[in-house]
Amino acid sequence: MNQKTKKRLQEFTFVLPALIIFAIFVVYPFLQGFPISFTKWDGMSPVKKYVGFSNYIRIFQDTNVLNAIKNTLIFTAVTMVFSNIFGLIFALMISKKSKINNILRTCIFVPYCLSLVLSSYIWRYVYSDVFFDVFGIPSPLGSTVWVMFGLSVISIWRDTGYCMVVYIAAIQGVSKDYYEAAELEGATPWQKFKAITFPMIAPAVTANFTLLLAWGMKVFDYPMAATAGGPGRASETVAMLIYNNLFTYFKAGYGQAIAVVFTLAIFAVSTLVSKNLRAREVEI
Amino acid sequence: MSRSLKNSLTLLLKIAVTLLVSSPFYIAIIYSVKSKPEMVANRLAFPKVIHWDNFTRAIETSNFGLALKNSLVTTVVSVVIITLICTMASYIIARKNNWFYNGIYYLFIGAMIIPFQSIMTPLYIDMTKWKLLNTLHGFIMAKVGFQIAFTVLLVSGFVKSIPKELEESANIDGAGLYSTFFRIVFPLMKPIVMTSIILNSLNVWNDFQMSLTLLQQKAVRNIPLTQYFFFGENSIELGLAFALFILSIIPILMLYLMLQKYIIGGITSGAVKG
Repeated sequence: MNQKTKKRLQEFTFVLPALIIFAIFVVYPFLQGFPISFTKWDGMSPVKKYVGFSNYIRIFQDTNVLNAIKNTLIFTAVTMVFSNIFGLIFALMISKKSKINNILRTCIFVPYCLSLVLSSYIWRYVYSDVFFDVFGIPSPLGSTVWVMFGLSVISIWRDTGYCMVVYIAAIQGVSKDYYEAAELEGATPWQKFKAITFPMIAPAVTANFTLLLAWGMKVFDYPMAATAGGPGRASETVAMLIYNNLFTYFKAGYGQAIAVVFTLAIFAVSTLVSKNLRAREVEI
Repeated sequence: MSRSLKNSLTLLLKIAVTLLVSSPFYIAIIYSVKSKPEMVANRLAFPKVIHWDNFTRAIETSNFGLALKNSLVTTVVSVVIITLICTMASYIIARKNNWFYNGIYYLFIGAMIIPFQSIMTPLYIDMTKWKLLNTLHGFIMAKVGFQIAFTVLLVSGFVKSIPKELEESANIDGAGLYSTFFRIVFPLMKPIVMTSIILNSLNVWNDFQMSLTLLQQKAVRNIPLTQYFFFGENSIELGLAFALFILSIIPILMLYLMLQKYIIGGITSGAVKG
């Protein structure tokens, strides 16, 4: 073996372990999903009955799917927008390096360390024991209209800290020269934010929106722990629907077909959103 | 308005907002140390007697020791594996900017979009077949597989910001690829390694959905599953449930407080630029 091939092989050993684990536990099951989606199968029996596209056709006539899509979209839109707005406001408030700001930053990030399950339980009691018992506001988790917004608040509470940290990192990377020049021109804080900070942190905005979008679309833990999909099916999300099809309704084939369409939808929406955001970065 | 007045008003506002964000923890902490009669009498009031008994009883009845052990093992082992294989892979991917390694990079990045649900059923079947269902090592491997995409994205962005000169001079001195990586590059990656340790530990420690699918027996339950099932069984004895919750936050919170000084630096160079 000559020197060059040897070096190339050695380089390849650096990616090999990651590649192997990734192929076995992500790529392989992902590919297996396609044939399953064309079958009628309970998830356990050795026989899978091939049914062609009928699972896919059924998806578009199933009102439960439509309901889950609606719930997921409400949650995604609300959490994506508000986690980012609050994260950015907090970041602007406490981005300067100081002892007190460090403490406040830690406090605001702490909710992100909690599991989603735990956040859901704490908020069940915030809603019932504080909102209702103290202020007389009925818990949104018991209302078919407000339940998705109630769950969104839990997620916003938890994820704002993460968004904030990414924004602080971006804000600290903006050169001070720009601000000094703007101050010489007599710019107001709002003008400085609009003309300097916001355009300079555009990549962080893109990163955060794309991430929150992905988290939102895949939401499972919050409705599972806080409401079990209820009241009725008012908070059943797409991810929950797929889970229920395998473990509750024993319709693994149909669930897999939903999962395939779901993956394509996430792919389409994420590409669209991140393309749009990136285009905006260049414009500025 | 004078400058100092304005400053103190801003400070006051900042503290008020932070207190508001932290306020839900009041419930968790208060409920965890309240006795049952006090809970019935006045839920939100500060407890008259600190009722530590909730903690000892929660530890006994929930089998907390086992859950803690399972969570620690899965988190530590998977984070070590993720960190090692992903920093190595990211290093070569970022340095060898050719079609082959770019292809691998896009394969990883593309997979970030894949929701767990789309591989859930096949993975469940495979894990059963491979005798990895309801085992900690099976869970660890699946979790590692799923975190690779995110970690490679995070770390490879950082590698690009490390100057090549040091590696080149090591090369001239005749150091091999492995010793160059472990002696020179890896130490320089410290901020991103710390960031990836925090974010991956949080993700594995708090994982619920993959746990619910792959760890279905009592003996392998981790902390989120224990929280979930214990709460289902103890919604009447809230004190116990919340004592368990408080206990389960402590390890991960300690890790965060220890490593938090790295996180902003790591995110700046990794996630945002990458």
